[in-house]
Amino acid sequence: MRKTWLPVGLLWVAYTILLVVLVRYVNVLPNQWAEEAHVVDEAFMLLMYLGSPVMAMILAVMTWGVIAWRSDGAEREDGPNHHTNRAVVTTWLVLTSALAIGVVINPGFVGLAEIRGEPSSDYVIGIEASQFFWEITYPNGATAFDELVIPAHKRVRYDVNSTDVVHSFWIPAFRVKIDAVPGLTTQLYITATNVGTLEDDHNLRIQCAELCGAGHASMALPVRVVSDAEWTEYIASIAGSG
Amino acid sequence: MKYLIRAVIFGFVGYVAGVALTLAIRGGHPTDEVAVVIGFIFALTGWLAGIGGLEAFGRQWIGKTPQLSEDVTWRRYFQFSGDHKVIGIQYGVTLFVVLLIGGVISMIMRVELAAPGMSIVSLDEFNKLMSMHGILMVAVAVAGIIGAFGNYIIPIQIGAADMAFPRINAVSFWLVPPVAIGLLCAPLLGSFDAGWTSYAPLSVVNDSGQILFNMAIITFGLSSILGGLNIIVTVITMRAPGMTWGRLPIFTWAGFATAILSFSITQFLAGSLVLVTMDRVAGTNFFGPDGGTSLLYQHIFWFYSHPAVYIMVLPGFGVILELVTTFARKPLFAYKATVGALFAIVGLSVSVWAHHMFTSGMANFLHGPFMIMTEAISIPTGVIFLAIIGTLWQGKLWFRTPLVMAFGWLFTFMIGGITGIFLADVAVDIHLHDTYFVVAHFHYTIVGGAIFALLAAFFYWFPKITGRMYNDTLGKVFAIWVTIAFNLTFMPLFWAGINGMNRRVGDYPDAYANANRFASIAAFFLGASFLLFVGNMVWSAFKGPKAGANPWNARTLEWQISSPPSHHNFLSQPVVVGHPYDYGAGDAPHVVFPDAEGPADGTHTEEGPV
Repeated sequence: MRKTWLPVGLLWVAYTILLVVLVRYVNVLPNQWAEEAHVVDEAFMLLMYLGSPVMAMILAVMTWGVIAWRSDGAEREDGPNHHTNRAVVTTWLVLTSALAIGVVINPGFVGLAEIRGEPSSDYVIGIEASQFFWEITYPNGATAFDELVIPAHKRVRYDVNSTDVVHSFWIPAFRVKIDAVPGLTTQLYITATNVGTLEDDHNLRIQCAELCGAGHASMALPVRVVSDAEWTEYIASIAGSG
Repeated sequence: MKYLIRAVIFGFVGYVAGVALTLAIRGGHPTDEVAVVIGFIFALTGWLAGIGGLEAFGRQWIGKTPQLSEDVTWRRYFQFSGDHKVIGIQYGVTLFVVLLIGGVISMIMRVELAAPGMSIVSLDEFNKLMSMHGILMVAVAVAGIIGAFGNYIIPIQIGAADMAFPRINAVSFWLVPPVAIGLLCAPLLGSFDAGWTSYAPLSVVNDSGQILFNMAIITFGLSSILGGLNIIVTVITMRAPGMTWGRLPIFTWAGFATAILSFSITQFLAGSLVLVTMDRVAGTNFFGPDGGTSLLYQHIFWFYSHPAVYIMVLPGFGVILELVTTFARKPLFAYKATVGALFAIVGLSVSVWAHHMFTSGMANFLHGPFMIMTEAISIPTGVIFLAIIGTLWQGKLWFRTPLVMAFGWLFTFMIGGITGIFLADVAVDIHLHDTYFVVAHFHYTIVGGAIFALLAAFFYWFPKITGRMYNDTLGKVFAIWVTIAFNLTFMPLFWAGINGMNRRVGDYPDAYANANRFASIAAFFLGASFLLFVGNMVWSAFKGPKAGANPWNARTLEWQISSPPSHHNFLSQPVVVGHPYDYGAGDAPHVVFPDAEGPADGTHTEEGPV
């Protein structure tokens, strides 16, 4: 028995180290532009680390199977007549259950609490989706169709709805989305952290994320994050136009 | 062929009659949706009557004996046959053709997506191609393994001469061609562009092709329900003497679990589509933009459609477990726990649907419970993995094509499973929902879990069904090729999704150009692999060397009879006397044939049909 456990165990450790190193040093995440992005990315990275040993275990067994358990079937030789092993099954169930419970608690509920957060906000911005454009309504009643301009470091509540079919209000740089549903106002809270524009990052855009018809792919709008003072100035400047 | 021609004529006449009747009653235009609905129902009735329903059911209604096709030539595959083996082959070939059509459509999509901007189709056409690809492939995944191999193998594995209800079995297959015809005719009415999910209210207001989608998929649901019913009754009532529940082969267990799911939940999908249809043709307003509740559609739809992914992968689990034990030459590890896990998945699968709706605007307090249930379903799925690696452990692995394909399945489905944990997490899902991460994830689970298992099943049971062996080297080359090509195609799409590429788009920002170009090239590499598969299998079906009764030296019942099996499967009554997977226990047989002439030592074989 030891002859099998030892090499498979070593392979498991080796694959785990390899995967953890990859997860640690190969960055797959886009830039973060909001507090919510940190919550989502932390949860994502935690799951990447937790998934590594799980994946490594299967890979270890597959690798050792190809190396050491190969046999020429022409000899019609059978393996050992082992039907089950109660200790192994119990251990497996305990470990996978513990892992599932752990993942439900963190990042599960921890992330859920942080991402849904306090229902308080500095400003409220209205988002109305239609086939295939976005209408922005600022707190002073000004409306815009060409870009979304928001203040950095302020917690903004977005009241989202739709005039026709289901759309989804998603800003990839902020990592959050909520559907725009006809007849229902859905809400999202976002605190942007850096000043920037679509030129700085292609993810600073509203992107419709729910299939809404022919123009779905092009239903995007630039997002510009500015300082609070600039923002107040901006919404005052467009107030007459709406 | 005359029955098939009659079916086409009756179907066409039925359609015309249905449309004419509608116009006579209410006037209007032949392409009005209500006329199409009535026409479709009449056409379906005419089709079933024409293909053989008149003989199989109609004769009984006028006091005569019902008749099913008794043809033994190739023509039986085009007739209303009650033979489960004929129906299995009918399912397998039909759905494989649908798989190839869906695959060709995906090639067109990958050409369009190879570079930003629009090249060969418009955004609108892309959405319609994407929707068609989606629903065709979902149909293949739902019915591929259970329709083809569930029908062919399950009755033999339990020692039965046929399914419990041969005529209903024939109906459930012959409902499938009208589904494919209905879907493929949808472009005549403007096609459907709401994806396979057909979220309302988009599916209430889009082009009229949607109505054909609704009718076709309701029909497909009926086929699933009837098929499920048949398998449930067959497994409960038709097992051979000695085939206790504790001796049931694992593929049969998986098919039984699947049948319970498809029998009991498919109604919800049909329900949601009936409501959409009524919104379109009867003036109701369940989901419409003004006053309807679109969230209701999503709840009903996912109440079926999440369990549906288990209808797709549970038979896959069965295939992989079945052949891993055969090629590891070891008993299936933790048989009872594995069976328990299959049914735990069935139970839990109906309590997780709203994890598709974390960003839908449903009440916040629902997020926690659905996250818990979704993470919980990973526990029984983990037991399936334990059974596989426990069976491989210290086995005598005989690397023929089916086992190589099973390794491809294991690697690919593992990634699908782990990425599922990411999407079950509410915070992560709020970013990744409706992105290419989801596209990559469900292709890893559905292609990895169901289609790779379907291919493995082809490799495993091909010699039994055709009586001939394929080229094993070419089979292995294909298995490795398809696994590598699949992973090259879909791995970059995880990255695209994380980095902000939304799904179901014909165009995208330049930032995703490299990932998409790579995926498109790999997709053609993937598509090309199927030429090798089709070539190998078609050539071998006619010209391959004789396989013999039991080329894998397996223990279950289907391998103890001739290849292909005789008309009623068994020349004498099989009696089950032992565990199906007792490898390494000397000569203790699983089954004996006490009444057979000649040796009754578990190698009972006979050649040719009776």
